[in-house]
Amino acid sequence: MTAAPVQHEQHEQHEQHGQSLDPAAAQSAIEHAYEQGWTDGLPVVPATQDLVDRFLAAAGRPAGEVLSHLKQVDRTVTVELLAINAAMAGCRPEYFPVVLAAWQALAQERTTGGGGWQSTSGPAPLIIVNGPLRQELGFNSTGGVFGPGFRANATVARAIGLTVRNAYGIRPHELEQATQGVPGRWSICLAENEEESPWAPLAEDLGVSGNAVTSTLLRTSEFVDNRHTSDPEQLLADFADTIGRSGPWIFRNAGAGVVLCPEHANQLAKAGFSRADVAAWLGEHAGRTTGQLAAVGKDRANENGVRFPGATGDNRDTTDPEQFQRTIADPASMIVAVAGSRNAGISMVVRYFADWSGKPVAITTGTSPQKDDR
Amino acid sequence: MTQTILDPTGRGAQHAGSAAGPADPQGRPTPELAPRPASLAGARIGLLDNTKHNALLFLTVVGELLVEEHGAASVGIVETKKNFSIPVDEEIVSRYRESCDVVVTGVGDCGSCSAAAVADGINFERAGLPAAVVLTDAFDITGRTMAGVQGAPDYEWIRTEHPMAVLTEEQVRERARLLLPEILSTLTVSDQEGRA
Repeated sequence: MTAAPVQHEQHEQHEQHGQSLDPAAAQSAIEHAYEQGWTDGLPVVPATQDLVDRFLAAAGRPAGEVLSHLKQVDRTVTVELLAINAAMAGCRPEYFPVVLAAWQALAQERTTGGGGWQSTSGPAPLIIVNGPLRQELGFNSTGGVFGPGFRANATVARAIGLTVRNAYGIRPHELEQATQGVPGRWSICLAENEEESPWAPLAEDLGVSGNAVTSTLLRTSEFVDNRHTSDPEQLLADFADTIGRSGPWIFRNAGAGVVLCPEHANQLAKAGFSRADVAAWLGEHAGRTTGQLAAVGKDRANENGVRFPGATGDNRDTTDPEQFQRTIADPASMIVAVAGSRNAGISMVVRYFADWSGKPVAITTGTSPQKDDR
Repeated sequence: MTQTILDPTGRGAQHAGSAAGPADPQGRPTPELAPRPASLAGARIGLLDNTKHNALLFLTVVGELLVEEHGAASVGIVETKKNFSIPVDEEIVSRYRESCDVVVTGVGDCGSCSAAAVADGINFERAGLPAAVVLTDAFDITGRTMAGVQGAPDYEWIRTEHPMAVLTEEQVRERARLLLPEILSTLTVSDQEGRA
Protein backbone atom coordinates (compact mmCIF):
# COMPACT_ATOMS: atom_id res chain seq x y z
CA MET A 1 0.00 0.00 0.00
CA THR A 2 2.97 2.35 0.10
CA ALA A 3 4.72 4.44 -2.45
CA ALA A 4 7.46 7.02 -2.39
CA PRO A 5 8.24 8.70 0.93
CA VAL A 6 7.59 12.41 1.22
CA GLN A 7 10.93 14.14 1.32
CA HIS A 8 11.61 16.73 3.97
CA GLU A 9 14.85 18.26 2.98
CA GLN A 10 14.85 21.46 4.93
CA HIS A 11 11.86 21.82 7.16
CA GLU A 12 9.87 19.38 9.10
CA GLN A 13 6.21 19.55 8.20
CA HIS A 14 3.72 20.70 10.81
CA GLU A 15 -0.02 20.81 10.61
CA GLN A 16 -0.47 23.81 12.86
CA HIS A 17 -0.58 27.30 11.46
CA GLY A 18 2.40 29.42 12.24
CA GLN A 19 4.91 26.65 11.73
CA SER A 20 7.13 26.65 8.72
CA LEU A 21 5.83 24.56 5.84
CA ASP A 22 7.75 22.76 3.14
CA PRO A 23 6.41 23.72 -0.29
CA ALA A 24 9.10 21.79 -2.13
CA ALA A 25 8.04 18.58 -0.42
CA ALA A 26 4.38 19.36 -1.17
CA GLN A 27 5.21 19.94 -4.82
CA SER A 28 7.15 16.72 -5.19
CA ALA A 29 4.37 14.78 -3.46
CA ILE A 30 1.82 16.26 -5.84
CA GLU A 31 3.97 15.38 -8.84
CA HIS A 32 4.40 11.87 -7.47
CA ALA A 33 0.61 11.42 -7.51
CA TYR A 34 0.48 12.57 -11.13
CA GLU A 35 3.22 10.14 -12.09
CA GLN A 36 1.29 7.28 -10.52
CA GLY A 37 -1.82 8.15 -12.53
CA TRP A 38 -3.82 8.84 -9.38
CA THR A 39 -5.29 12.24 -10.21
CA ASP A 40 -8.29 13.49 -12.15
CA GLY A 41 -6.12 16.13 -13.77
CA LEU A 42 -5.99 18.49 -10.81
CA PRO A 43 -3.50 18.27 -7.93
CA VAL A 44 -4.38 15.91 -5.10
CA VAL A 45 -3.47 15.99 -1.42
CA PRO A 46 -0.93 13.26 -0.63
CA ALA A 47 -2.65 10.85 1.72
CA THR A 48 -0.69 9.63 4.73
CA GLN A 49 -1.71 7.07 7.32
CA ASP A 50 -2.04 9.74 10.03
CA LEU A 51 -4.44 11.74 7.88
CA VAL A 52 -6.46 8.72 6.79
CA ASP A 53 -6.71 7.52 10.40
CA ARG A 54 -8.50 10.76 11.22
CA PHE A 55 -10.97 10.09 8.39
CA LEU A 56 -11.59 6.59 9.71
CA ALA A 57 -12.14 7.90 13.23
CA ALA A 58 -14.62 10.49 11.98
CA ALA A 59 -16.75 7.78 10.43
CA GLY A 60 -16.25 5.14 13.13
CA ARG A 61 -16.30 2.31 10.62
CA PRO A 62 -13.80 -0.57 10.27
CA ALA A 63 -11.09 0.22 7.73
CA GLY A 64 -11.50 -3.14 6.00
CA GLU A 65 -15.29 -3.03 5.70
CA VAL A 66 -16.26 -3.75 2.10
CA LEU A 67 -18.58 -1.11 0.65
CA SER A 68 -18.90 -2.33 -2.92
CA HIS A 69 -17.43 -4.74 -5.45
CA LEU A 70 -17.35 -4.31 -9.22
CA LYS A 71 -17.57 -7.76 -10.69
CA GLN A 72 -16.23 -7.18 -14.20
CA VAL A 73 -12.92 -5.80 -12.93
CA ASP A 74 -12.90 -7.71 -9.62
CA ARG A 75 -12.14 -4.55 -7.68
CA THR A 76 -13.41 -3.69 -4.23
CA VAL A 77 -13.97 -0.41 -2.40
CA THR A 78 -13.30 -0.62 1.33
CA VAL A 79 -13.85 2.09 3.90
CA GLU A 80 -10.09 2.67 3.99
CA LEU A 81 -9.72 2.99 0.20
CA LEU A 82 -12.62 5.42 0.12
CA ALA A 83 -10.94 7.39 2.94
CA ILE A 84 -7.62 7.55 1.08
CA ASN A 85 -9.34 8.89 -2.03
CA ALA A 86 -11.42 11.34 0.02
CA ALA A 87 -8.24 12.64 1.66
CA MET A 88 -6.63 13.01 -1.77
CA ALA A 89 -9.72 14.87 -3.04
CA GLY A 90 -9.16 17.53 -0.40
CA CYS A 91 -11.88 16.53 2.05
CA ARG A 92 -11.49 17.32 5.72
CA PRO A 93 -11.79 14.25 7.95
CA GLU A 94 -15.19 15.33 9.23
CA TYR A 95 -16.56 15.26 5.66
CA PHE A 96 -15.82 11.57 5.42
CA PRO A 97 -19.16 10.34 6.84
CA VAL A 98 -20.83 12.29 4.00
CA VAL A 99 -18.54 10.69 1.41
CA LEU A 100 -19.35 7.29 2.89
CA ALA A 101 -23.09 7.89 2.71
CA ALA A 102 -22.76 9.22 -0.84
CA TRP A 103 -20.79 6.17 -1.97
CA GLN A 104 -23.35 3.87 -0.37
CA ALA A 105 -26.24 5.78 -1.91
CA LEU A 106 -24.60 5.49 -5.33
CA ALA A 107 -23.72 1.84 -4.78
CA GLN A 108 -27.42 1.00 -4.39
CA GLU A 109 -28.11 2.45 -7.85
CA ARG A 110 -28.48 -0.41 -10.31
CA THR A 111 -26.11 0.95 -12.92
CA THR A 112 -23.14 1.60 -10.63
CA GLY A 113 -22.83 -2.15 -10.09
CA GLY A 114 -23.05 -2.71 -13.84
CA GLY A 115 -21.62 -0.59 -16.61
CA GLY A 116 -22.56 2.89 -15.39
CA TRP A 117 -19.06 4.12 -14.62
CA GLN A 118 -17.82 2.84 -18.01
CA SER A 119 -20.71 4.22 -20.03
CA THR A 120 -20.45 6.26 -23.21
CA SER A 121 -22.89 8.62 -21.44
CA GLY A 122 -20.19 9.63 -18.96
CA PRO A 123 -22.79 10.16 -16.23
CA ALA A 124 -22.30 12.48 -13.24
CA PRO A 125 -23.31 11.64 -9.68
CA LEU A 126 -25.90 13.99 -8.20
CA ILE A 127 -25.29 14.14 -4.43
CA ILE A 128 -27.88 15.91 -2.26
CA VAL A 129 -27.12 16.42 1.45
CA ASN A 130 -29.81 16.94 4.09
CA GLY A 131 -29.68 17.59 7.82
CA PRO A 132 -27.92 19.84 10.34
CA LEU A 133 -24.52 18.52 9.28
CA ARG A 134 -24.84 20.72 6.17
CA GLN A 135 -24.16 23.86 8.19
CA GLU A 136 -21.75 22.27 10.64
CA LEU A 137 -19.51 21.24 7.77
CA GLY A 138 -20.02 24.33 5.62
CA PHE A 139 -21.91 22.81 2.69
CA ASN A 140 -23.34 25.38 0.31
CA SER A 141 -27.09 25.16 -0.13
CA THR A 142 -27.79 28.62 -1.53
CA GLY A 143 -26.21 30.79 -4.22
CA GLY A 144 -24.24 28.96 -6.90
CA VAL A 145 -25.10 25.58 -5.48
CA PHE A 146 -24.19 23.78 -8.72
CA GLY A 147 -21.01 25.77 -9.04
CA PRO A 148 -17.58 25.91 -7.39
CA GLY A 149 -16.36 27.79 -4.35
CA PHE A 150 -17.14 25.58 -1.39
CA ARG A 151 -14.70 23.01 -0.09
CA ALA A 152 -17.25 20.56 1.30
CA ASN A 153 -19.37 20.44 -1.86
CA ALA A 154 -16.40 20.33 -4.21
CA THR A 155 -14.33 17.73 -2.42
CA VAL A 156 -17.09 15.29 -1.49
CA ALA A 157 -18.11 15.06 -5.16
CA ARG A 158 -14.49 14.80 -6.25
CA ALA A 159 -13.85 11.97 -3.76
CA ILE A 160 -16.40 9.84 -5.62
CA GLY A 161 -14.64 10.42 -8.92
CA LEU A 162 -11.20 9.62 -7.56
CA THR A 163 -12.54 6.42 -6.01
CA VAL A 164 -14.02 5.28 -9.32
CA ARG A 165 -10.73 6.07 -11.02
CA ASN A 166 -8.35 4.61 -8.46
CA ALA A 167 -10.17 1.94 -6.49
CA TYR A 168 -12.16 0.56 -9.45
CA GLY A 169 -9.45 1.37 -11.99
CA ILE A 170 -11.96 2.93 -14.39
CA ARG A 171 -9.99 5.65 -16.12
CA PRO A 172 -10.89 7.86 -19.10
CA HIS A 173 -9.97 6.43 -22.52
CA GLU A 174 -9.43 2.99 -20.97
CA LEU A 175 -12.35 1.31 -19.24
CA GLU A 176 -14.18 4.65 -19.01
CA GLN A 177 -15.66 5.28 -22.45
CA ALA A 178 -17.52 8.59 -22.15
CA THR A 179 -18.20 9.90 -25.65
CA GLN A 180 -18.14 13.48 -24.38
CA GLY A 181 -19.00 13.17 -20.71
CA VAL A 182 -21.32 15.31 -18.66
CA PRO A 183 -20.46 18.85 -17.53
CA GLY A 184 -20.22 18.77 -13.77
CA ARG A 185 -19.03 15.21 -13.56
CA TRP A 186 -17.46 14.67 -10.12
CA SER A 187 -18.51 18.13 -8.97
CA ILE A 188 -22.28 18.09 -8.36
CA CYS A 189 -22.81 17.91 -4.60
CA LEU A 190 -25.39 20.24 -3.16
CA ALA A 191 -26.99 20.72 0.20
CA GLU A 192 -30.73 21.19 0.19
CA ASN A 193 -31.81 24.69 1.16
CA GLU A 194 -34.02 23.43 3.96
CA GLU A 195 -34.24 26.90 5.51
CA GLU A 196 -35.97 28.41 2.48
CA SER A 197 -37.81 25.31 1.28
CA PRO A 198 -41.58 25.21 1.82
CA TRP A 199 -41.48 21.46 2.22
CA ALA A 200 -39.91 18.88 4.54
CA PRO A 201 -36.28 17.96 3.80
CA LEU A 202 -36.02 15.74 0.72
CA ALA A 203 -34.54 12.75 2.55
CA GLU A 204 -37.12 13.04 5.32
CA ASP A 205 -39.92 12.86 2.75
CA LEU A 206 -38.20 9.72 1.43
CA GLY A 207 -38.10 8.15 4.89
CA VAL A 208 -34.72 9.18 6.34
CA SER A 209 -34.83 12.18 8.66
CA GLY A 210 -31.79 14.14 9.82
CA ASN A 211 -28.40 13.86 8.17
CA ALA A 212 -28.71 11.92 4.95
CA VAL A 213 -27.53 11.72 1.35
CA THR A 214 -29.78 11.20 -1.66
CA SER A 215 -27.99 10.34 -4.89
CA THR A 216 -28.30 9.07 -8.42
CA LEU A 217 -26.42 9.36 -11.71
CA LEU A 218 -27.22 12.17 -14.15
CA ARG A 219 -27.00 12.47 -17.92
CA THR A 220 -27.08 16.22 -17.61
CA SER A 221 -28.73 19.17 -15.90
CA GLU A 222 -30.56 21.94 -17.75
CA PHE A 223 -31.75 25.25 -16.35
CA VAL A 224 -35.25 26.66 -16.59
CA ASP A 225 -35.38 30.45 -16.24
CA ASN A 226 -38.92 31.64 -15.56
CA ARG A 227 -39.44 34.84 -13.55
CA HIS A 228 -42.43 36.59 -15.07
CA THR A 229 -45.48 34.48 -14.47
CA SER A 230 -47.46 34.11 -11.29
CA ASP A 231 -49.42 31.18 -12.71
CA PRO A 232 -48.09 27.94 -11.18
CA GLU A 233 -49.21 25.86 -14.15
CA GLN A 234 -47.37 28.10 -16.60
CA LEU A 235 -44.28 27.68 -14.46
CA LEU A 236 -44.71 23.90 -14.32
CA ALA A 237 -45.37 23.77 -18.06
CA ASP A 238 -41.98 25.36 -18.63
CA PHE A 239 -40.36 22.54 -16.65
CA ALA A 240 -42.47 19.95 -18.45
CA ASP A 241 -41.28 21.23 -21.83
CA THR A 242 -37.65 20.86 -20.83
CA ILE A 243 -38.21 17.44 -19.27
CA GLY A 244 -40.12 16.28 -22.34
CA ARG A 245 -37.61 17.28 -24.98
CA SER A 246 -36.55 14.45 -27.24
CA GLY A 247 -32.76 14.79 -27.26
CA PRO A 248 -31.95 12.80 -24.15
CA TRP A 249 -34.82 10.38 -24.59
CA ILE A 250 -33.61 6.98 -25.85
CA PHE A 251 -35.71 4.39 -24.02
CA ARG A 252 -39.48 3.98 -23.69
CA ASN A 253 -39.41 6.41 -20.78
CA ALA A 254 -36.74 8.70 -19.37
CA GLY A 255 -36.03 9.74 -15.79
CA ALA A 256 -35.71 13.27 -14.50
CA GLY A 257 -36.13 15.39 -11.42
CA VAL A 258 -36.00 19.07 -10.56
CA VAL A 259 -33.84 21.09 -8.23
CA LEU A 260 -36.07 24.08 -7.62
CA CYS A 261 -34.80 27.46 -6.53
CA PRO A 262 -36.55 28.76 -3.38
CA GLU A 263 -38.60 31.27 -5.42
CA HIS A 264 -40.09 28.60 -7.66
CA ALA A 265 -40.62 26.16 -4.80
CA ASN A 266 -42.42 28.75 -2.70
CA GLN A 267 -44.52 29.96 -5.62
CA LEU A 268 -45.72 26.39 -6.17
CA ALA A 269 -46.25 25.71 -2.46
CA LYS A 270 -48.31 28.88 -2.04
CA ALA A 271 -50.51 27.66 -4.89
CA GLY A 272 -51.10 24.48 -2.91
CA PHE A 273 -48.62 22.12 -4.55
CA SER A 274 -46.90 19.59 -2.36
CA ARG A 275 -43.66 17.97 -3.51
CA ALA A 276 -45.66 14.96 -4.72
CA ASP A 277 -48.14 17.25 -6.51
CA VAL A 278 -45.29 18.87 -8.44
CA ALA A 279 -44.01 15.46 -9.51
CA ALA A 280 -47.48 14.28 -10.47
CA TRP A 281 -48.16 17.39 -12.59
CA LEU A 282 -44.82 17.11 -14.37
CA GLY A 283 -45.25 13.38 -14.89
CA GLU A 284 -48.58 13.96 -16.56
CA HIS A 285 -47.51 16.86 -18.78
CA ALA A 286 -43.90 16.11 -19.76
CA GLY A 287 -43.65 14.36 -23.09
CA ARG A 288 -44.06 14.66 -26.83
CA THR A 289 -46.59 13.48 -29.37
CA THR A 290 -45.84 10.47 -31.51
CA GLY A 291 -45.64 12.80 -34.49
CA GLN A 292 -43.02 14.96 -32.79
CA LEU A 293 -41.02 11.88 -31.83
CA ALA A 294 -41.36 10.45 -35.35
CA ALA A 295 -39.75 13.64 -36.67
CA VAL A 296 -36.60 12.75 -34.72
CA GLY A 297 -36.71 8.99 -35.26
CA LYS A 298 -37.72 8.05 -31.74
CA ASP A 299 -41.43 7.35 -31.90
CA ARG A 300 -41.53 3.65 -31.13
CA ALA A 301 -39.87 1.61 -28.39
CA ASN A 302 -38.90 -1.91 -29.44
CA GLU A 303 -39.23 -5.08 -27.35
CA ASN A 304 -36.10 -4.09 -25.39
CA GLY A 305 -37.59 -0.68 -24.65
CA VAL A 306 -35.18 1.17 -26.97
CA ARG A 307 -36.64 3.91 -29.18
CA PHE A 308 -36.40 3.71 -32.97
CA PRO A 309 -38.04 5.24 -36.01
CA GLY A 310 -41.21 3.21 -36.11
CA ALA A 311 -43.88 5.09 -38.00
CA THR A 312 -42.90 3.44 -41.21
CA GLY A 313 -43.83 0.16 -42.84
CA ASP A 314 -46.15 -1.88 -40.69
CA ASN A 315 -46.54 0.87 -38.13
CA ARG A 316 -47.38 3.67 -40.54
CA ASP A 317 -51.12 3.38 -40.38
CA THR A 318 -51.47 2.20 -36.81
CA THR A 319 -49.75 5.04 -35.00
CA ASP A 320 -51.73 8.17 -34.17
CA PRO A 321 -49.39 11.14 -34.62
CA GLU A 322 -51.39 13.11 -32.06
CA GLN A 323 -50.97 10.50 -29.33
CA PHE A 324 -49.10 11.99 -26.37
CA GLN A 325 -46.25 9.89 -24.99
CA ARG A 326 -45.18 10.64 -21.45
CA THR A 327 -41.49 11.01 -20.63
CA ILE A 328 -41.77 9.94 -17.00
CA ALA A 329 -42.98 6.41 -16.28
CA ASP A 330 -43.66 7.00 -12.59
CA PRO A 331 -43.81 10.47 -10.99
CA ALA A 332 -42.77 8.88 -7.68
CA SER A 333 -39.35 8.43 -9.28
CA MET A 334 -38.84 12.19 -9.55
CA ILE A 335 -36.46 13.95 -7.19
CA VAL A 336 -37.94 17.32 -6.21
CA ALA A 337 -35.29 19.15 -4.21
CA VAL A 338 -34.86 22.81 -3.25
CA ALA A 339 -31.51 24.56 -3.51
CA GLY A 340 -30.01 27.83 -4.62
CA SER A 341 -30.41 31.48 -3.80
CA ARG A 342 -33.80 33.18 -3.43
CA ASN A 343 -32.65 35.94 -5.78
CA ALA A 344 -34.21 34.75 -9.07
CA GLY A 345 -36.57 32.22 -10.64
CA ILE A 346 -33.91 29.89 -12.03
CA SER A 347 -34.17 26.16 -11.41
CA MET A 348 -32.56 23.03 -12.78
CA VAL A 349 -33.94 19.94 -14.47
CA VAL A 350 -31.72 17.02 -13.51
CA ARG A 351 -31.89 14.24 -16.03
CA TYR A 352 -31.24 10.71 -14.78
CA PHE A 353 -28.82 8.32 -16.40
CA ALA A 354 -31.12 5.42 -15.50
CA ASP A 355 -33.68 4.55 -12.87
CA TRP A 356 -33.29 5.86 -9.32
CA SER A 357 -33.39 3.71 -6.20
CA GLY A 358 -35.38 6.34 -4.31
CA LYS A 359 -33.55 5.50 -1.10
CA PRO A 360 -31.50 8.06 0.84
CA VAL A 361 -28.66 6.85 3.09
CA ALA A 362 -28.30 8.16 6.64
CA ILE A 363 -24.99 9.85 7.47
CA THR A 364 -23.48 8.30 10.58
CA THR A 365 -20.46 9.63 12.44
CA GLY A 366 -17.95 7.94 14.74
CA THR A 367 -18.75 7.70 18.43
CA SER A 368 -15.68 9.73 19.34
CA PRO A 369 -14.84 11.82 16.30
CA GLN A 370 -11.39 13.29 16.45
CA LYS A 371 -11.28 17.00 16.89
CA ASP A 372 -9.85 18.70 13.89
CA ASP A 373 -7.09 20.96 15.02
CA ARG A 374 -6.87 23.32 12.10
CA MET B 1 9.65 12.48 10.30
CA THR B 2 9.01 10.87 6.93
CA GLN B 3 5.66 9.36 6.06
CA THR B 4 4.86 7.31 3.01
CA ILE B 5 2.15 8.38 0.60
CA LEU B 6 -0.71 5.90 0.57
CA ASP B 7 -1.71 4.17 -2.66
CA PRO B 8 -5.40 4.86 -3.48
CA THR B 9 -5.85 1.88 -5.78
CA GLY B 10 -5.73 -0.94 -3.26
CA ARG B 11 -3.46 -2.88 -5.58
CA GLY B 12 0.01 -2.22 -4.25
CA ALA B 13 3.07 -0.67 -5.77
CA GLN B 14 3.61 -3.23 -8.53
CA HIS B 15 0.48 -2.06 -10.32
CA ALA B 16 0.92 1.63 -9.77
CA GLY B 17 0.60 3.68 -12.90
CA SER B 18 0.08 0.83 -15.31
CA ALA B 19 -2.10 2.09 -18.10
CA ALA B 20 -3.33 -1.30 -19.11
CA GLY B 21 -4.59 -3.76 -16.59
CA PRO B 22 -2.74 -5.63 -13.92
CA ALA B 23 -2.24 -9.35 -13.88
CA ASP B 24 -5.32 -11.52 -13.61
CA PRO B 25 -6.95 -10.60 -10.30
CA GLN B 26 -7.67 -14.20 -9.45
CA GLY B 27 -4.13 -15.28 -10.24
CA ARG B 28 -5.10 -17.48 -13.16
CA PRO B 29 -2.44 -18.13 -15.77
CA THR B 30 -2.58 -16.35 -19.10
CA PRO B 31 -4.76 -18.70 -21.10
CA GLU B 32 -3.75 -20.60 -24.14
CA LEU B 33 -6.50 -20.43 -26.71
CA ALA B 34 -8.82 -23.42 -26.63
CA PRO B 35 -7.88 -26.17 -29.10
CA ARG B 36 -9.37 -25.45 -32.55
CA PRO B 37 -11.01 -27.96 -34.85
CA ALA B 38 -9.70 -28.20 -38.42
CA SER B 39 -13.11 -27.21 -39.72
CA LEU B 40 -16.61 -26.53 -38.42
CA ALA B 41 -18.00 -29.66 -40.10
CA GLY B 42 -20.50 -31.16 -37.68
CA ALA B 43 -19.86 -28.47 -35.06
CA ARG B 44 -22.63 -27.02 -32.91
CA ILE B 45 -22.52 -23.22 -32.93
CA GLY B 46 -23.17 -21.15 -29.79
CA LEU B 47 -24.31 -17.55 -30.11
CA LEU B 48 -24.19 -15.07 -27.22
CA ASP B 49 -26.07 -11.81 -27.81
CA ASN B 50 -24.90 -8.88 -25.71
CA THR B 51 -28.25 -7.06 -26.21
CA LYS B 52 -26.90 -4.16 -28.26
CA HIS B 53 -29.02 -3.22 -31.26
CA ASN B 54 -28.40 -5.40 -34.33
CA ALA B 55 -26.23 -7.84 -32.34
CA LEU B 56 -28.76 -10.68 -32.35
CA LEU B 57 -29.56 -10.24 -36.03
CA PHE B 58 -25.85 -10.23 -36.88
CA LEU B 59 -25.18 -13.36 -34.83
CA THR B 60 -28.22 -15.15 -36.21
CA VAL B 61 -27.07 -14.55 -39.78
CA VAL B 62 -23.55 -15.70 -38.93
CA GLY B 63 -24.98 -18.88 -37.40
CA GLU B 64 -27.09 -19.56 -40.49
CA LEU B 65 -24.15 -19.05 -42.82
CA LEU B 66 -21.88 -21.33 -40.79
CA VAL B 67 -24.50 -24.08 -40.99
CA GLU B 68 -25.46 -23.55 -44.63
CA GLU B 69 -22.02 -22.97 -46.09
CA HIS B 70 -19.44 -24.42 -43.71
CA GLY B 71 -20.96 -27.70 -42.59
CA ALA B 72 -21.80 -26.76 -39.01
CA ALA B 73 -24.41 -29.16 -37.63
CA SER B 74 -26.66 -26.62 -35.98
CA VAL B 75 -26.92 -23.57 -33.80
CA GLY B 76 -26.96 -25.32 -30.45
CA ILE B 77 -27.54 -22.42 -28.08
CA VAL B 78 -28.53 -18.76 -28.32
CA GLU B 79 -28.69 -16.64 -25.22
CA THR B 80 -29.07 -12.95 -24.58
CA LYS B 81 -26.97 -11.55 -21.74
CA LYS B 82 -29.00 -10.40 -18.76
CA ASN B 83 -26.43 -7.71 -18.02
CA PHE B 84 -24.29 -6.60 -20.94
CA SER B 85 -21.73 -5.03 -18.59
CA ILE B 86 -20.87 -8.19 -16.68
CA PRO B 87 -18.73 -10.95 -18.18
CA VAL B 88 -20.24 -14.43 -18.43
CA ASP B 89 -19.88 -16.53 -15.30
CA GLU B 90 -19.22 -20.23 -14.81
CA GLU B 91 -22.93 -21.06 -14.93
CA ILE B 92 -23.39 -19.52 -18.37
CA VAL B 93 -20.11 -20.92 -19.68
CA SER B 94 -21.08 -24.43 -18.59
CA ARG B 95 -24.38 -24.18 -20.47
CA TYR B 96 -22.43 -23.32 -23.61
CA ARG B 97 -19.95 -26.13 -22.98
CA GLU B 98 -22.85 -28.58 -22.92
CA SER B 99 -24.64 -27.22 -25.97
CA CYS B 100 -22.01 -26.09 -28.43
CA ASP B 101 -18.47 -26.58 -29.71
CA VAL B 102 -17.59 -23.00 -30.66
CA VAL B 103 -18.99 -19.59 -29.69
CA VAL B 104 -19.59 -16.35 -31.58
CA THR B 105 -20.39 -13.32 -29.43
CA GLY B 106 -20.83 -9.55 -29.61
CA VAL B 107 -21.41 -7.04 -30.89
CA GLY B 108 -19.37 -4.82 -28.61
CA ASP B 109 -20.81 -1.41 -29.46
CA CYS B 110 -20.82 0.48 -26.15
CA GLY B 111 -18.57 1.38 -23.25
CA SER B 112 -19.04 -1.45 -20.82
CA CYS B 113 -20.44 -4.13 -23.15
CA SER B 114 -17.35 -4.06 -25.37
CA ALA B 115 -15.03 -4.63 -22.44
CA ALA B 116 -17.31 -7.38 -21.12
CA ALA B 117 -17.42 -9.10 -24.55
CA VAL B 118 -13.62 -9.37 -24.51
CA ALA B 119 -13.79 -10.90 -21.04
CA ASP B 120 -16.49 -13.29 -22.30
CA GLY B 121 -14.20 -14.50 -25.07
CA ILE B 122 -11.36 -15.08 -22.61
CA ASN B 123 -13.70 -16.96 -20.26
CA PHE B 124 -14.91 -19.22 -23.07
CA GLU B 125 -11.32 -19.96 -24.13
CA ARG B 126 -10.40 -20.81 -20.54
CA ALA B 127 -13.32 -23.27 -20.52
CA GLY B 128 -12.01 -24.92 -23.70
CA LEU B 129 -14.47 -23.33 -26.11
CA PRO B 130 -13.06 -21.55 -29.15
CA ALA B 131 -14.67 -18.11 -29.31
CA ALA B 132 -14.94 -15.35 -31.90
CA VAL B 133 -15.65 -11.97 -30.31
CA VAL B 134 -16.79 -9.08 -32.49
CA LEU B 135 -16.33 -5.46 -31.42
CA THR B 136 -16.66 -2.29 -33.41
CA ASP B 137 -13.38 -0.49 -34.00
CA ALA B 138 -14.29 2.36 -31.62
CA PHE B 139 -13.54 0.22 -28.59
CA ASP B 140 -9.97 -0.99 -29.14
CA ILE B 141 -8.52 0.62 -26.03
CA THR B 142 -11.23 -0.43 -23.61
CA GLY B 143 -11.11 -3.97 -25.06
CA ARG B 144 -7.34 -4.07 -24.66
CA THR B 145 -7.57 -2.75 -21.11
CA MET B 146 -10.11 -5.41 -20.17
CA ALA B 147 -7.94 -8.11 -21.73
CA GLY B 148 -5.20 -6.97 -19.39
CA VAL B 149 -7.57 -6.94 -16.42
CA GLN B 150 -8.50 -10.53 -17.27
CA GLY B 151 -4.85 -11.56 -17.36
CA ALA B 152 -4.73 -12.09 -21.12
CA PRO B 153 -3.22 -8.85 -22.44
CA ASP B 154 -2.54 -10.26 -25.92
CA TYR B 155 -6.03 -11.69 -26.49
CA GLU B 156 -7.34 -10.88 -29.97
CA TRP B 157 -10.86 -10.23 -31.20
CA ILE B 158 -12.50 -9.32 -34.51
CA ARG B 159 -12.91 -5.63 -35.30
CA THR B 160 -15.65 -4.24 -37.49
CA GLU B 161 -16.40 -0.73 -38.58
CA HIS B 162 -18.24 1.47 -36.09
CA PRO B 163 -21.20 2.02 -35.77
CA MET B 164 -23.35 -1.11 -35.96
CA ALA B 165 -26.51 0.12 -34.27
CA VAL B 166 -27.59 2.41 -37.12
CA LEU B 167 -27.34 -0.24 -39.86
CA THR B 168 -30.43 -1.48 -41.65
CA GLU B 169 -31.27 -5.19 -41.65
CA GLU B 170 -29.80 -5.57 -45.12
CA GLN B 171 -26.60 -3.84 -44.07
CA VAL B 172 -26.31 -6.09 -41.03
CA ARG B 173 -26.62 -9.14 -43.28
CA GLU B 174 -23.88 -7.74 -45.50
CA ARG B 175 -21.71 -7.15 -42.45
CA ALA B 176 -22.18 -10.75 -41.33
CA ARG B 177 -21.20 -11.96 -44.80
CA LEU B 178 -18.17 -9.69 -44.79
CA LEU B 179 -16.88 -10.94 -41.45
CA LEU B 180 -17.64 -14.61 -42.02
CA PRO B 181 -14.14 -15.57 -43.30
CA GLU B 182 -12.48 -13.97 -40.27
CA ILE B 183 -14.94 -15.59 -37.87
CA LEU B 184 -14.30 -18.96 -39.53
CA SER B 185 -10.53 -18.62 -39.34
CA THR B 186 -10.73 -17.48 -35.72
CA LEU B 187 -12.69 -20.59 -34.75
CA THR B 188 -10.67 -23.16 -36.68
CA VAL B 189 -7.07 -24.10 -37.18
CA SER B 190 -5.79 -23.94 -40.72
CA ASP B 191 -3.62 -26.70 -42.20
CA GLN B 192 -0.76 -24.27 -42.55
CA GLU B 193 -0.75 -23.42 -38.88
CA GLY B 194 -0.90 -27.06 -37.90
CA ARG B 195 -2.38 -26.40 -34.47
CA ALA B 196 -4.34 -29.20 -32.88
